[in-house]
Amino acid sequence: MKVLFEGGARTLLILHAVVGFTAVFTVTHHAVSAFACAMRRPAQRQLKRFGWMAPASVVLQALFGLALYPTYRVRVRLADLERTAPGAVQLFDCKEHLSALALALVVAAALAGRALPSPAPAAEARSVAALSGCGATLVWAAAVIGLYVTARHPVGIP
Amino acid sequence: MREIRAALWAVSAFGVAYLVAGALRLPTLVYDPVAHATRFTANPPLLSIRYYGDLLWACGAGVCAAALASRSRGSRPVSALTGAALSLVALDVAFYLSRLFARV
Repeated sequence: MKVLFEGGARTLLILHAVVGFTAVFTVTHHAVSAFACAMRRPAQRQLKRFGWMAPASVVLQALFGLALYPTYRVRVRLADLERTAPGAVQLFDCKEHLSALALALVVAAALAGRALPSPAPAAEARSVAALSGCGATLVWAAAVIGLYVTARHPVGIP
Repeated sequence: MREIRAALWAVSAFGVAYLVAGALRLPTLVYDPVAHATRFTANPPLLSIRYYGDLLWACGAGVCAAALASRSRGSRPVSALTGAALSLVALDVAFYLSRLFARV
């Protein structure tokens, strides 16, 4: 039985991890810049810079995750975790939903942040900070759950 | 500030569509990793992946909402739109966490 992208699963997993760390850091930087902007500190340049880095890394991260998903489903979840660690399966299900919501929040926060004028109106700046902060929180949660499940049984290892 | 309103409407629509498509098991695109088949159904086989389809529904809803909001002349306060968007996201998170804690 052959599964889509199974041959390159280990490479994809490493790329998923590397881009995942990039996503965590760029999204966190974007959130910090957005909060600084909401507190009337000069952070427009950082907001613009991380306003393309954060969504680009999160979208790329999501694409690697989606490519890995069939292999995870068949070789990790069905073959191992459903018998040995059903809690990890449920945790991973929760992680995929958190990742989807994080994707929407980060892309929206980045687009909104890039549109903020200088000086930013208070309500709009707070709105961007709220979107970005919630997005960063969900990205961190998804990263920690992903690391936990990968530590139990990485994709690409029988 | 149309971009910010559009982004907030997009997040709201994404949150609603993602929750509704998944929780109500609406017909969606599913991929069967064993049979290598993609189909549009509400009742996928056990091993099928409906995540791709639910994500497509939600992204489509978000893009449509953003397009509509960027063309409209709505004057709702940004703070109210932010509260609504984040409340919908919080509802999604609460729903999926409740399912997690109910099963574990």
